[in-house]
Amino acid sequence: MVNLVMATPERTVIERAERATEPISTSTSESAVPLTFQVKNLSVWYGEKRAIDDVTLDIASNAVTAIIGPSGCGKSTFLRCLNRMHELVPKTRVEGTVLLQGEDLYSSTVDPAIVRRRVGMVFQKSNPFPTMSIGENVIIGLRLNGVRNQKFLNERLEKSLRMAALWDEVKDDQQRLCIARALAVEPEVLLMDEPCSALDPIATAKIEELIHELKAEYTIVTVTHNMQQAGRVSDYTAFFYLGRLIEFGPTTKIFTNPSQRQTEDYITGRFG
Amino acid sequence: MIAHRHILGTFDEALGSLRNNVLMMAGLAERSLERAMKGLTERDDDICANAIADDEEIDQLEIQIDKDGVDILLRFQPVASDLRRVVSAMKLSSNLERIADQATNIARRARKLNQHPPLPEVELILPMNAQAMAMFKDSVDAYVREDVELGRAIVPRDAKLDDLNRVASRRLIERMAQDPEQLRGYLNLMFIGRHLERVGDHATNIAEDAVYAAAAEDIRHQGVAAST
Repeated sequence: MVNLVMATPERTVIERAERATEPISTSTSESAVPLTFQVKNLSVWYGEKRAIDDVTLDIASNAVTAIIGPSGCGKSTFLRCLNRMHELVPKTRVEGTVLLQGEDLYSSTVDPAIVRRRVGMVFQKSNPFPTMSIGENVIIGLRLNGVRNQKFLNERLEKSLRMAALWDEVKDDQQRLCIARALAVEPEVLLMDEPCSALDPIATAKIEELIHELKAEYTIVTVTHNMQQAGRVSDYTAFFYLGRLIEFGPTTKIFTNPSQRQTEDYITGRFG
Repeated sequence: MIAHRHILGTFDEALGSLRNNVLMMAGLAERSLERAMKGLTERDDDICANAIADDEEIDQLEIQIDKDGVDILLRFQPVASDLRRVVSAMKLSSNLERIADQATNIARRARKLNQHPPLPEVELILPMNAQAMAMFKDSVDAYVREDVELGRAIVPRDAKLDDLNRVASRRLIERMAQDPEQLRGYLNLMFIGRHLERVGDHATNIAEDAVYAAAAEDIRHQGVAAST
């Protein structure tokens, strides 16, 4: 495993444990499922406002975890805490611990830039760099990390485009381009913040298919407002409300028989 | 559990209408079964004809419930308890339709028996009817009230009905040997017993679906391993 501080750009993808098949029934680690993240008692403030309230949650490796909840429930904030991206917002304060493969993400010796390379992010609105070609967009992350070897860059470009299912049909699919860009630095985790909310059904289906394929190699955490999408793509679902984690469990359990009334009311559309 | 109102009023309406049709169907199936047995015990062909006539409306309701259920799945993509309610309504309608078919079968056999002198062995059928009818009513109650304990308690009651059927069949076979003149009559009674035994099976299915709808628990086929 690569150390957060010592990581080099040319490192190879780490050996991965077998895909998680065992369900985990609670937010605490109690089973043999390999975990990528262990979040313990996480609280986040934006100035005086508490956005996340004492959340404890494990994220299984090589699985898709969906985070659902109404607007303002803290799901995007939670996602950003997994790669320290919330630090870009002024007056943010974090309590609790986030372990990535057992390492403390918030340790003072950890470089946030390296964290963000290991934990990639895809946003709601695709954000390709408009003045760059598709190829330049994909490898920009590596260039910014100081990679100069053109052969290596070319190989990584092709590999990333293939994984994002873009190589054979370089079209104007910007969201998949952004996924390719996130993949180019070979992260371990892919965070997705409503990746399909601006897409038509066909582009959405392609992204969902991609998520399904990518989980063999990556741990994926996705925030979505689309309940059916959470049901289709995820292995685990976490329901957030008012900054708190209300319920977490295997997706089939959450969508057929949630144990909390608030979860039931939200997913069936009886909220508020 | 009383659900909060759905944000989409049309969804609540659609679920309510589905449930009403299931209850209507259950009421008609119960009436049809009562009429068939009354036609048998009172030797009244008109009542038998009424029982048979009920079947048409029940068949139409089955078609309607399936159509509405598919429509709800398509339009609203229900989850959690909503999803279980739709799935169980569709399964219930199928079992209710079969119970009504058994009522029709009983009414037809009763009309045949009514053409001949009464057989005292009809008494053998009555405890079966009481047991099957009680199981059926309780299974519908368990569904309506989302009563998991009541639903669970119905499943083992089917064994008693099976026992009653075995006793009645044995006795009727003896009578066939002793009194071959009435062979057809005894055979018709045996078939009626068989139809009531099937009613118990469908009531058990309904009870199992009621437990699934209320508690998301699948209690089917759990007695098999224990009893062998």
